[in-house]
Amino acid sequence: MRLLRWLLVPIVVLPLAWLLLSGFGRDPREVASPLIGGPAPAWTLTTLDGETLSSADFAGRPYVVNFWASWCGPCVDEHPVLTGTRAELGDDLAMVGVLYQDATADADAFLTRYGDTGYSHVTDPDGRLAIDYGVTGPPETFFVDAAGIVRDRQFGPLTRALMEERLASIGVTP
Amino acid sequence: MRAAGLGGLIALIAIGVVLAVSEADGATPAERTGALAAELRCPDCQGLSVADSQTTAARAIRRQIDEMVASGASDDEVRAHFTARYGDWILLAPSSPLVWLIPFAAVLAGLLALAAWLVRHPARPGVAPAPLTDEQRRRLHEEAEALDA
Repeated sequence: MRLLRWLLVPIVVLPLAWLLLSGFGRDPREVASPLIGGPAPAWTLTTLDGETLSSADFAGRPYVVNFWASWCGPCVDEHPVLTGTRAELGDDLAMVGVLYQDATADADAFLTRYGDTGYSHVTDPDGRLAIDYGVTGPPETFFVDAAGIVRDRQFGPLTRALMEERLASIGVTP
Repeated sequence: MRAAGLGGLIALIAIGVVLAVSEADGATPAERTGALAAELRCPDCQGLSVADSQTTAARAIRRQIDEMVASGASDDEVRAHFTARYGDWILLAPSSPLVWLIPFAAVLAGLLALAAWLVRHPARPGVAPAPLTDEQRRRLHEEAEALDA
């Protein structure tokens, strides 16, 4: 009986304390996306240049959908990773930025200040595409393979290493 | 008098229409949108429902619920629409009712453990304190009087 009481601490209390403590370091929004393994949402939206762009334009090619905003600090951090990937891969990988709750003038100013990405950005005026992708806050990036299936998602800013890891899921090697 | 009668008739018809409409499917579309919005977590707030938040994302979701309700979607279809995009995370209440039982089970387990402990460690039979001796009683009075003084 006395032995049982001493075993209580390592068997019950420690795992429970570990479980609760580990929860502190995690963002509750960072849950697995239910989209992974399923078809990517389809859309037709207007770019910052005023042209019409559609997900169908990427058919047969792997592509990356990056949700961002000019008011988002971590988006500044990942900006060089995105432009770098674009410069390196060119047309081997289609990329598109989606404005998340942002004004087009502010987005234009952001791109002027931090440098053009070399790919198009679309506006999502009623937030429908953000809902379809289940976005909870920028930056959030989705990786779609050539068959149009969502293979991976990056929650939070991309680093060079994370970008390579996620791109591997859609068969692209920088 | 006639005006009052006419007013009463109109009021009765209005009540009848309201009752007929609300009984037709239990709730008005606005009530259904409100109830569904209260079940969903606002994506870009901390611990608020879509109904309680004024963020752009919450408004966009409310608009979409409105559209779905207007086009005849059932409550379950609306919930499924959003869980397919955000996962079960978007639901404020856990989908499994069993989860609600965990706190009660924990309290019950604690009570059982306490009961088991009490059975194993019964209170020792009480021993009445020995009566005071005359000497102790005299000192008690002395000190009590000293305090009063």
